[in-house]
Amino acid sequence: MKRSKETLRLIRRSPYQAIAAIIAMTLTFFITSVFVVLLVGGQIVLRFIEQRPTISVFFKNDVTENKINEISDKIKTTGLARDVKYVTKEEALAIYKERFKDQPHVVELVSADFLPASLDIFVNKPQDVDEISKVIQNQDEISDIVYPKDVTKALTKWTKILRIGGLVLVSTLMIVSFLIIIMVAGMRIALRREEISIMNLVGATKWYISRPFFVEGVFYGVVGATLASFLTYAMLLFYSPNIQQFLGTIQVFPISPLFFIYLWLGEILTATTIGIIGVSISLYRYLRIK
Amino acid sequence: MLKFDSVYKKFPSGQIALENIDFTIENGEFIFIVGSSGAGKSTLLKLITRESIPSSGRIFFNTEDIMKIPKSKIPILRRRIGTVFQDFKLLLTKTVFENVALPLEVLSKKDTQIERLVSEVLDKVGLLDKANSFPLQLSGGEIQRTAIARAIVGKPEVLLADEPTGDLDPKNSEEIVKILEKINKEDNTIIIMATHNAQIVNHFKKRVIVLDKGKITKDEKEGKYETE
Repeated sequence: MKRSKETLRLIRRSPYQAIAAIIAMTLTFFITSVFVVLLVGGQIVLRFIEQRPTISVFFKNDVTENKINEISDKIKTTGLARDVKYVTKEEALAIYKERFKDQPHVVELVSADFLPASLDIFVNKPQDVDEISKVIQNQDEISDIVYPKDVTKALTKWTKILRIGGLVLVSTLMIVSFLIIIMVAGMRIALRREEISIMNLVGATKWYISRPFFVEGVFYGVVGATLASFLTYAMLLFYSPNIQQFLGTIQVFPISPLFFIYLWLGEILTATTIGIIGVSISLYRYLRIK
Repeated sequence: MLKFDSVYKKFPSGQIALENIDFTIENGEFIFIVGSSGAGKSTLLKLITRESIPSSGRIFFNTEDIMKIPKSKIPILRRRIGTVFQDFKLLLTKTVFENVALPLEVLSKKDTQIERLVSEVLDKVGLLDKANSFPLQLSGGEIQRTAIARAIVGKPEVLLADEPTGDLDPKNSEEIVKILEKINKEDNTIIIMATHNAQIVNHFKKRVIVLDKGKITKDEKEGKYETE
């Protein structure tokens, strides 16, 4: 308790350094949080899209169910499809009604005859799409083939870019925070050099001398990570209606509070590690106790 | 008991600070280490606190070889040795009370215990009424007494005083040595006082070790310091 007061006294003595350290930590972990949220959100969207059929094959109006089943079997025998689902005209109408339930005037005008029967093909691997396409391409009964595979590909690509970009940016910011902690702790040590030397001569252990600096490093970490987590939570809360509108049927909200608790704990752990290692380097560099 | 056994100290520059130092100080002794500036007095004291290490030879504190104490245990050694520094080494931003309490703070003593022990030693050195003053508000003699109070508050077995009368007038100098003598008698603390103040040395008639260019030239009980 006495040493915590000592740490607060140190912070009060030169508050600008403390503010710089807290801002650096907050900024670093706020951007980290944003990237984590984007990556987790990206994964949810990707999973949603992956659960949708990779290929949708629409049939002409006069094609019989037997013919459709024949084509379905042909696809299944390739062994490249995880599942092939037959969607009848009636089922297509049900899906249509569900999708446009908010617009009854649109639903009223449509009957099952207007909609084509289709096969939803779920492939094992995205690269198998071309192989399956070859099997169904020249069938006269087919009116249209839709490949949402490009969306998955693009999303995978963007998630990857986001991950690499985030990693580079967050790593750079963490290095900056780390250097700021080293500098702030170094200045604090320089300010107290005389006191430290006297404490050393009257029998203070290295740990006793170092403790207030470590407490300070941990303090910056905890405050920075907490502020960052709070800002991220507030930002998501504020923008959630806009984000949900943008994502349409892909449900990402409400985000579990557990996610934010884990994020906060993870960031506190990382931030205090940065604080402790930064202070350790400063102590090793500037505090040569004989 | 403190024993120097063939101690030799050479600085990295090649300058020899101490040469073949041999002496034993028994418990309860009061000795003066005398010699002109650069004779090696301060170096000798620094060897006792492990601020410096000898190039060869051994130093025993009771039966323990000081040089064999692991680095992590040096703080424990320093708690058994009180030091009054030539430049006082008081913290100007702390009061007399806080300065004196420092060795107890590092031992994480309770506030009530600190209060009692600090008041006791301040009373002993006659500074109880100055407990809340800052070092800059004190006279030279009071500053030196604060430094002594800080050195003895942890009840050390040995008290090292490096030129404690260096900047003081004769009256204050005598006052300081009288306080050291009182500590020596009341607490049976070994007192080692480095000085080049011949008047003080000759007045108190204690054991005197004379250092000249790093060598002991004289070691006498109730000795004198004769300057040219």
